[in-house]
Amino acid sequence: MNPPSLVVAAPRSRVDHLWRLLGTGLSFACFGIGAVLISLTLFPLIRLLSWNKARCRSRIQRAMHLTFRLFVWMMSRLGVISWEVQGRERLLQPGQLIVANHPTLIDVVLIIALMPEVDCIVKQALFRNPFLRWPVVWAGYIPNRDSGALIEDCARALRAGRSLLVFPEGTRTVPGQALALKRGAAQIALAAQCQVRPVGVSCRPLMLTKHEPWYRIPPRPGHWRLDVGEAIAAADFCGAPGGHAVAARRLTQELAARFAPYAQACSWV
Amino acid sequence: MPSEQEIFEHLKGVLVELFEIDAAKITPQAHLYQDLDIDSIDAIDLMLKLKDYTGTKMQPEEFKNVRTVGDVVDAVRNLVSS
Repeated sequence: MNPPSLVVAAPRSRVDHLWRLLGTGLSFACFGIGAVLISLTLFPLIRLLSWNKARCRSRIQRAMHLTFRLFVWMMSRLGVISWEVQGRERLLQPGQLIVANHPTLIDVVLIIALMPEVDCIVKQALFRNPFLRWPVVWAGYIPNRDSGALIEDCARALRAGRSLLVFPEGTRTVPGQALALKRGAAQIALAAQCQVRPVGVSCRPLMLTKHEPWYRIPPRPGHWRLDVGEAIAAADFCGAPGGHAVAARRLTQELAARFAPYAQACSWV
Repeated sequence: MPSEQEIFEHLKGVLVELFEIDAAKITPQAHLYQDLDIDSIDAIDLMLKLKDYTGTKMQPEEFKNVRTVGDVVDAVRNLVSS
């Protein structure tokens, strides 16, 4: 004999699944439409009211931060995701290179939702997007052009006391594969001689991963955990015999060791 | 003019010194990016270092088609002989 609770539970979980599916779709739609609307209204308005370049950058970044906070709040309220953060205050120190592992599509949204002002590296293609090109220029975001120039652009931002967010993997983690960090983030830190602040990101059950369509949602809402770790001083890695190529390798190994537990904590169930 | 073998041995020394690559992995067929984990920034460092050896600056275009250790040896040989 089936206990009655199971009979009730089955349709409820189907409703729950459908609800989260709709919520996820709605979130995607809001993000896309919202980005276009804000790019045509709020951002140009801020630009018109702030002719000073630095002030404009600061205000646009703050506006991005607030809209991302709103977006994360919406996804949480819809019951599509939940999240927790440890050590948020550590992100607020100026002039540090924030590095994070990158299991999911919204890692960048969550981190910007925690930081009122932060520089980012964005795809060069975005600088040709008719809607987004001006907002990314006004925000002072850095295009990922050829590697030498990119590292110098990033180091300059850090030396000027701004914080910069980089995902050393260069793209989202492929679920089930070992973390593969590129050394660009370490090269930037060594060029700027700055503090490196690792953020470990885990998501369980996993959703919004690479190669996975948005509508494949897990049995429960994905729960993100972001741990802001102890800073690493880039200067500690300089002076290694073999020069900065070896230093970049050592620093990258250190980052990989910091991220490994968080990558391992990501799971489908 | 250095022989192909001499250039290879020199390059091997440079790769070990600059990037701490395991010397046993360095063969003429070894792929710089896939097998030896050299990235674009490392490639610039390598070009600069090889300039000390060849005396002439290697153009980025010359390095663009370089894939393997053997390709680097060929590029260096072309520079030295020209």
